[in-house]
Amino acid sequence: MTGTDTLLTAAGAAEPAEGLRAVRSLRTLADRLEALQVERARRQGWSWQQIADCLGVTRQAVHKKYGKTTGRVVP
Amino acid sequence: MFERFTQDARDAVTRARDEAGALGAERIGSEHVLLAAVRVDGVAQQALTGLGIGADALAQAVRARHGLDDDALASIGVDLGAVRAQVEATFGEGALDAAHRTAPRALTPDAKKLLELALREAIRTERRRIDTGHLLLAAVRAPESAARATLSSLGLSDDAVRDAVGVAWARAA
Repeated sequence: MTGTDTLLTAAGAAEPAEGLRAVRSLRTLADRLEALQVERARRQGWSWQQIADCLGVTRQAVHKKYGKTTGRVVP
Repeated sequence: MFERFTQDARDAVTRARDEAGALGAERIGSEHVLLAAVRVDGVAQQALTGLGIGADALAQAVRARHGLDDDALASIGVDLGAVRAQVEATFGEGALDAAHRTAPRALTPDAKKLLELALREAIRTERRRIDTGHLLLAAVRAPESAARATLSSLGLSDDAVRDAVGVAWARAA
């Protein structure tokens, strides 16, 4: 199967299983990237508010999600 | 129980820790034992090679089951290999797989079951020692195991795996 065929198949939901797996993988990818970037920003001294603004969420949301794991990281 | 394991099967059990850690797992699962069994040079590796599956393809299938599916992402035009290279250039090796700095020690119930089943497979096949072939047979013996689901996601039926182990043993004999 060529790349284009695969793309059309997934996008056209002719193969929902593959399309749904792609959605799940994108979410996992986004979650992992977010965790890495938030940790780096905290190490570089960013405030929770600055991170929240970039992510388009509230400060409370980002602090609740990452406060325990990266809040006390010593730069 | 490990005194009955051959050296390659012992190596596989030891290596399963590293495989689990590299894939960001909190505990060692049956899929990590399976992957390690195929990484070490032995019957399991020969059997899967005979079926056209290498250790890297198996590792990719394990990652796919945990939410990072290379093929599914490729189907929407995302090249996970390119993403991984970029992320690792910035954050270090294994960053995208959330690799742990310290490998886990605890086995999941699923992994414990796989080791028990490997012992039973050794008894059933009337072999004194447990080798990686028994680990692979155990993987397809446990109906609900993550190891079996991983093999099945690669299109490998239980019978195909059993036959391939038989062929690999016959060759080794």
